Amino acid sequence: MAADQLTTTFAALADPTRRAILTRLAHGEASVSQLAEPFPVTVQAISKHLKVLERAGLIARGRSAQLRPSRLQGEALKEAADWLAGYRGFWEDSFDRLEEHLREIQKGT
Amino acid sequence: MTEAVSAQEIAITRVFDAPRELVWKAWTEPDQLARWWGPRGWSNPLEMITLDVRPGGEFRVTSVSGEGAEMSSQGVFREVVEPERLVLEEPAEDAWHEGAVSVVTLTDLGEGRTEMVLQSTIQTTDEMRGHAEAGLTSSLDRLAEHLG
Repeated sequence: MAADQLTTTFAALADPTRRAILTRLAHGEASVSQLAEPFPVTVQAISKHLKVLERAGLIARGRSAQLRPSRLQGEALKEAADWLAGYRGFWEDSFDRLEEHLREIQKGT
Repeated sequence: MTEAVSAQEIAITRVFDAPRELVWKAWTEPDQLARWWGPRGWSNPLEMITLDVRPGGEFRVTSVSGEGAEMSSQGVFREVVEPERLVLEEPAEDAWHEGAVSVVTLTDLGEGRTEMVLQSTIQTTDEMRGHAEAGLTSSLDRLAEHLG
């Protein structure tokens, strides 16, 4: 992922309401009014958040003019998470190999 | 609003079907560590491993990829409690972090099984810190988990 895109993605993720929206969308697509329900903000405010998320490539929106249901775009989110998880990944990979190694050396005994 | 966070914590827990002494050796003996350290596809030549397993002792592993690229991990052992606890301190490393402390804890579960917990505290770079302050990292982790 390009650095610029990452910056946009992280900026979009920096807002708690937008993260809550993403969490909601992880359970399935939803319309603007459905998304607005749990928040003490207007539907217009939610629409604004959705635009930011859409620009960041984190969600995609349907074409139907009225509802325009939103759904999560896992790709951008995953890449951002992967970028942060590089350190963890090193260990996870190593520990997979460690597990195999431990199995291997016990075979001979 | 949020407290300034300058460190990121990660914790990884694994349970191995191996007695604790064996897991300890895997961490502390060069010919053992060489067999598993680093991502798949990388090997760890024995002559490029230094494991001075005592408080203040040096830790250095240079891994080599199939294409000949090299990657070094280095640090200092801060605590060594055989066979249950290792504390490893890594110095700052390029853009990734400004130093990290990792604690490895091995617990004997009996019946030849061992739980290993790795807890790393990473002093993040300025860029990473910005994201952490925004409270991003933990919720991002949760989301990523949810997405599998």
